[in-house]
Amino acid sequence: MDLHTLAAGLAMGLGGIGPGIGLGIGFSKAMEAIGRNPEASGTIFVPYILGLALTEAIGIYALVVSLIILFAS
Amino acid sequence: MVHVEIKAEELFAIGPLIVTNSMVGVLLASVVLLLATWWFTRRSAVVPSRGQSMIELPIEFLAGVVRGTGGKRWRQFAPLILAIFLYVLVANWLSLLPGVGTIGLAEEVDGEKIIVPFVRAGAADLNFTLGLALISFVAFIAFGLRANGLRGYLKELLIAEPAYMTPLLTPIHLISELSRVISLSMRLFGNVFAGEVLLATMLALTTATVFILPLAFVVPGVFLGLELLFGLVQALVFALLSMTYITLAIAEHRQHGSDDHSGEAPEQGAAPAHGSA
Repeated sequence: MDLHTLAAGLAMGLGGIGPGIGLGIGFSKAMEAIGRNPEASGTIFVPYILGLALTEAIGIYALVVSLIILFAS
Repeated sequence: MVHVEIKAEELFAIGPLIVTNSMVGVLLASVVLLLATWWFTRRSAVVPSRGQSMIELPIEFLAGVVRGTGGKRWRQFAPLILAIFLYVLVANWLSLLPGVGTIGLAEEVDGEKIIVPFVRAGAADLNFTLGLALISFVAFIAFGLRANGLRGYLKELLIAEPAYMTPLLTPIHLISELSRVISLSMRLFGNVFAGEVLLATMLALTTATVFILPLAFVVPGVFLGLELLFGLVQALVFALLSMTYITLAIAEHRQHGSDDHSGEAPEQGAAPAHGSA
C-alpha cells in the first residue's frame, strides 16, 4: 500500500463531509420552501441551483486534489 | 487499474502550436454547434416545425430564466449566457459518445502500453474551462464598467461601505472577485474529469464479468445516464453563475449611501421561469 492512496482517500472522504451536510441542508430548505409555496418553485429553482453549485464546489476541490494526488504525483 | 492522464495529451504540433486531443474535442463541439445553427436557422419559421421547437425549447427555457433573474438589461448579456450554456452542453455531451477517449494510438510510456486517444472530452482539460471562466470574468468586469462607469466601478471595488473597514474588506473583495475564475473553471473541470474517470473505472471493474453476467453493459450505462444529467447541470450552473456575476456587477451601485438598497438584489421579474419544475 502506498501512502498516496491513503492520502487521496482521506482527502476525498474528509472533503466530502462538509459539502454533503451543506447540500443536505440546502436541499431540505428548498423542498420546505416549495412545500410551503408550490407556486414559487420557478423562482426558487435558479437560486437553488446556484447555491447547490457553490456548495458542491468545495467537494469538487477535494476531488481534484485527491485525483492529483492519485494520478499526477 | 485504469490509466488516467490529468492533462490533455499532445497529438501533434503545428509550429509552436501544440494540438492536444482536448482541443480536437472542443473543435468538434464548435463544428457541431455551427452546423446546428446553420441547419436550424436556414429553414426556421415563425410557426416552428417539430425539430425546430425541440431545439428552441431549451433555449427558450434558459432565456426565460435570464429574463426572470437578469434584471432590466437582460437582453445585453443573454446571448453570451446562452452561448456559454450551449457550448459547454455540447462539449459535455459529445464527450459521452463512444470512441471519445477510447480510440487512439498505442504508445509505450515507461514500459507500459497506454492509449493516446484522438478525442478527449473538451472540459476534461483545465485550459478549456479556464478560458471560458476568463471570458465570463472579462464579461462581468466589462458590464460592471459599462453600468457604473470607471469611477463607480473602482469605488465599488476598492472602498468598503464604512470607510474605516476598507483595509480589511478590500483585499477580501479582490480575492473573491479573482476566486470566481478559479471556482468556475475548477468546478467544470473537476466534474467532467471525474465523470470520465468514473466511467472508465466502472467499465474496467465490470469488464471481467462479461462472460458470467452482462454487467459490463448495464453498469456503465447507468453511469452514462448520470453523466448526461451532470453534463446538463454543469452547463446550466456555469451559465447561471456567469449570469449572476454579471447581474451583480451591473446592479451593485450604491451612489450616495442613503438609498443603497435600491439596486442591490437582482430583480425577480414578474414572469416566473416557465417550464421549470
